[in-house]
Amino acid sequence: MHVPDGLLSVPVCAATGAASTAAVGYSVRRLRDRLADRTIPMIGMMAALVFAGQMVNFPLVGISGHLLGGVLCAAVLGPWAGCLAMTIVLVVQCLLFGDGGLLALGANVLHMAVIGVWGGYAVYRFLLGSDAGPRRMLMAAMIASWLSVMAAAAAFCLEFRLSHPAGAFDYRNVFSLIVAFHSLIGIGEAVITGLLVRFLYRHRPDLLYGPVAEGGSSGGVRRVVAAGLVAALAIAAFLSPFASSLPDGLEAAAERTGMARLERSPAWSVFSDYELPAIGWQPASVAAAGIIGVVSVVVLALLMSRTLSGWKSDREGLAA
Amino acid sequence: MAGYWDRYGRGATVCHRWPIEAKLGVVTAITVVALLIPVEHWPLFGVLLAVVFVGHSLARIPLAYLMRRLAFFLPLVLMLGATIPAAEGFSGGWETMWLIVFRSVVTFLALVWLVSVAPFDLLLATLNRYRCPPVLTATMACMYRYVYVLWDELGRMQTARRARTFKRLPRWRQWYEGAQLIGMLLLRAFGRAERVHGAMLARGFAGRVRFFDTRLLREVGRESGGDDDDAG
Repeated sequence: MHVPDGLLSVPVCAATGAASTAAVGYSVRRLRDRLADRTIPMIGMMAALVFAGQMVNFPLVGISGHLLGGVLCAAVLGPWAGCLAMTIVLVVQCLLFGDGGLLALGANVLHMAVIGVWGGYAVYRFLLGSDAGPRRMLMAAMIASWLSVMAAAAAFCLEFRLSHPAGAFDYRNVFSLIVAFHSLIGIGEAVITGLLVRFLYRHRPDLLYGPVAEGGSSGGVRRVVAAGLVAALAIAAFLSPFASSLPDGLEAAAERTGMARLERSPAWSVFSDYELPAIGWQPASVAAAGIIGVVSVVVLALLMSRTLSGWKSDREGLAA
Repeated sequence: MAGYWDRYGRGATVCHRWPIEAKLGVVTAITVVALLIPVEHWPLFGVLLAVVFVGHSLARIPLAYLMRRLAFFLPLVLMLGATIPAAEGFSGGWETMWLIVFRSVVTFLALVWLVSVAPFDLLLATLNRYRCPPVLTATMACMYRYVYVLWDELGRMQTARRARTFKRLPRWRQWYEGAQLIGMLLLRAFGRAERVHGAMLARGFAGRVRFFDTRLLREVGRESGGDDDDAG
């Protein structure tokens, strides 16, 4: 979700801004020699489509969700053009809609365009393997969507933790809420992406297969590393509520040398007061969010791929 | 959302006549200051808010428009801010929540002001002048050109769907239909992208997109006494 200004500190905004500028710059460089191609209208149209697609509501109990679009962009346009399309969506959302802050734009691009598209693409291609049938493609897209949302949540938790001093918040509770909420968003995104991939597979399979054929076998190792990173980040999201209560390395060192007694602020003692009564529900709820997320994404993917069986002839008919 | 986003971008007030670089600088400065003000100095937020409001009234942006934008924005921020008290069992953290909400509102209003005094194409032309990669500005311009087209198309498709659907669908069915709408729109958008690319090639496109200052066009229009319709 879009981070507004006010949650992250200025140094963290600067660091995430630098990181995402570098990543977007790299994507731009990869695309530079294909400018005369239809890249520009395709990226522009895809960004406009994600915008329009976000207007379509998917009703849930009480609230309604919408498409995020990271893995969709990655699956259709490939990682570099997909990253640009999402970046443009985020820049325009920030400038014209006020969705996400101006200084937090770097963080938003990092979460949704870099982790969401690069990471989502890496996981998608990793799961796709060399000969991808429709079922596997659906599974890969859904799992990649869920993992990339969770990885983005982990990145946000890390940035939030770095933005504020140790005792400012009850991090364990904040992170539990963030992770549980994003687990739900991730399931929604996985289902919408899965439905869209299914639709595209049925009507224009060449759109989905295009970037796959182009990518070839180069960069296989990098992709495995990137996919591993995304998976590790997603796991880290579920561990963050537990890790947050451990003191940092620096603080631990200070404590051991007796320095901590000098600089321990009153906020820290407030922090430990809050922590105790709530300890019971968080591990259970966070673990539940993780398990429910994994199980429901896999089950839904299986259910949806079940209905794909009759489509093989469709694709062959199109290819012929 | 009715109308186009930067609908007040083409006025002729003091704010509109400033150079764009100055406006960008002011908005960035306001955002940074809003982020750096600590809670203890909360009266400064009022001052900042007042400055932003003065800017809005100088630019003659209707209050009703601002209120409508805020009505879309505030619920989201309040929900996000409310996670902090919720994390503390609603026994504390309210101060932090209001801090976050205040900062977001100030920076949001500053951004609304920026867009309302600097039309999007001029912003892009300025970015281009400062050596922002042309892929980014060109694709952004392309997106800005076609997003309204796609929105209209989506609206027509939704109307058509409603016209053919006689009863309320079950929830899972609504998800399925929603995805189908987006998928169909995607196919149409890509068809359109191919046609647009063909038209670009026919006009001699070879990988370079040129920008020009549309204010010049307006000046020409005014001098020749023509009507000033290019704002649409």
